[in-house]
Amino acid sequence: MGLQELSDTVCIVGVGDTKQGAVPDKTGDELAIEAARAALEDCGLKKDDIDGLFVQPSYGRQGDYLKVGLMLGLNPRVGGAVEASGATGCYMIQHAALLLNAGMANYILLVYGTNQKTNRNRFGGALLEEHAPYGAFNPSGPFAFAFRRHMHLYGTTEEQLATIAINQRAHAGLNPKAVQQTPITLDDYMSARYIVEPLRLFDYCYITDGGHAFILTTADRATDLKKPPVYIRGMGRQEAFRAYETPDLVMQSFQQEAVAEMVFDMAGCTPQDMQALYVQDAYSPAVIAALENYGFCPRGESGRWIQDGRIALGGELPLNVNGGQLSETYMVGWQNTCDAVRQLRGECGARQIKAVERLMCTYTGGLREHAGALILRS
Amino acid sequence: MSDYNKPLPVIEKWNEPYWQAAKRHEFVAQRCPACGYIHLPPGPVCTNCLGPDQVWVQLSGKGSIYSYGIYHQQWHPGFADDIPYNVALIDLDEGLQIVSQVVDCENDALGCGLRVEVTFDDVTPEITLPKFRLVGTKQA
Repeated sequence: MGLQELSDTVCIVGVGDTKQGAVPDKTGDELAIEAARAALEDCGLKKDDIDGLFVQPSYGRQGDYLKVGLMLGLNPRVGGAVEASGATGCYMIQHAALLLNAGMANYILLVYGTNQKTNRNRFGGALLEEHAPYGAFNPSGPFAFAFRRHMHLYGTTEEQLATIAINQRAHAGLNPKAVQQTPITLDDYMSARYIVEPLRLFDYCYITDGGHAFILTTADRATDLKKPPVYIRGMGRQEAFRAYETPDLVMQSFQQEAVAEMVFDMAGCTPQDMQALYVQDAYSPAVIAALENYGFCPRGESGRWIQDGRIALGGELPLNVNGGQLSETYMVGWQNTCDAVRQLRGECGARQIKAVERLMCTYTGGLREHAGALILRS
Repeated sequence: MSDYNKPLPVIEKWNEPYWQAAKRHEFVAQRCPACGYIHLPPGPVCTNCLGPDQVWVQLSGKGSIYSYGIYHQQWHPGFADDIPYNVALIDLDEGLQIVSQVVDCENDALGCGLRVEVTFDDVTPEITLPKFRLVGTKQA
């Protein structure tokens, strides 16, 4: 069976989330379970319908799938953890699609919960042990290197990069779930302090507590449930375990180009067919990389391409209309998938993309080791 | 005793020859006797052909700045007095890329593509960190 035959065979039928931001009275596991209950309520399934459970571990030793499974009272046929950092949520959906197609499970629950804000996880560690002596702490360094390189090669400017943060903050203002809703101007952006120059404060995701959950089933089972199914039209992924060895991986070109080839081939469509794009944006240069590597704009031109409202709600390619991780919430990509499903159901109120039927979500994990994408349709 | 309070490299089986060489002010990498591939970080086999028995070879120590960042945020108290400091990705002439720092210059003097050469920073009696300094003039 080829990947194309799996197109549209599996659906996301339930999504659930919790309060985002600071949730100091709950552990990561409690938030995961609260999100799972919300996802069950969303699709109308009962706990005992669930025969697959996958849990993303979170910082502070939360998200042990055995513990979460015990707390949920589940003995699923298939279950466990998937560990791919920021691409985990994407990879879990892909694994679920394969398991559901193989008949090893009928209804798979995916959950993630974290209290990394309350726990003050600062992401202050070095990328690799051998980088610590040189002060290369925090995962943002490679994104700063990448953007600096982009500036050098293509003349991209910090003012152009600012558009991403400003645009997503404007979107977040239309999203009651978003933790950062105050609009920012170019002056606000440019006067904010550098963290790893050329990146400034607003180029960084905003660490939050919260939980998310999804329920997936086969297309034939999906039509009986409470909400309209959202179909998985395309899936792609590419690992780069040699990321620390291979030169010139900062913009992820070979890796994301490989993901693009797989996901568009499976979906039978092109970047120009997408009506919206969600990029997992731990740092804003992730958007620059995705737009070019997935073929939304020519190599080197993203700085200019994103101007003049093109990536705003109502523009040619609305991008992270939830606010993304820069402004909505930092749920390692889960928040984007959740918003994508709600957009395709038409549930998004003031930030609803008109007549949206097909969109794409891209994800990266670790420093660049993991990359994946989903094309979803209503 | 040293009052050096930055993180030190963790010496283990595979990287021990690298740090021993650095202490002698030599800059080395692993080379595969079978296919000639030169690689870091060190490991038990060639990452190109899986050949065993990797040998250590001297590098020229010359390269260019692929890109860099200026760190304004303090993530480790050992770097408090250095802020803002640079971290650079160095493209070595042998085809490797490594993370290091460019020293003996202002951060404003850095630029992608500038030529650099290795220099050795004896940070403790036991540990020497290979770093880089600018050579020549800025390329077009």
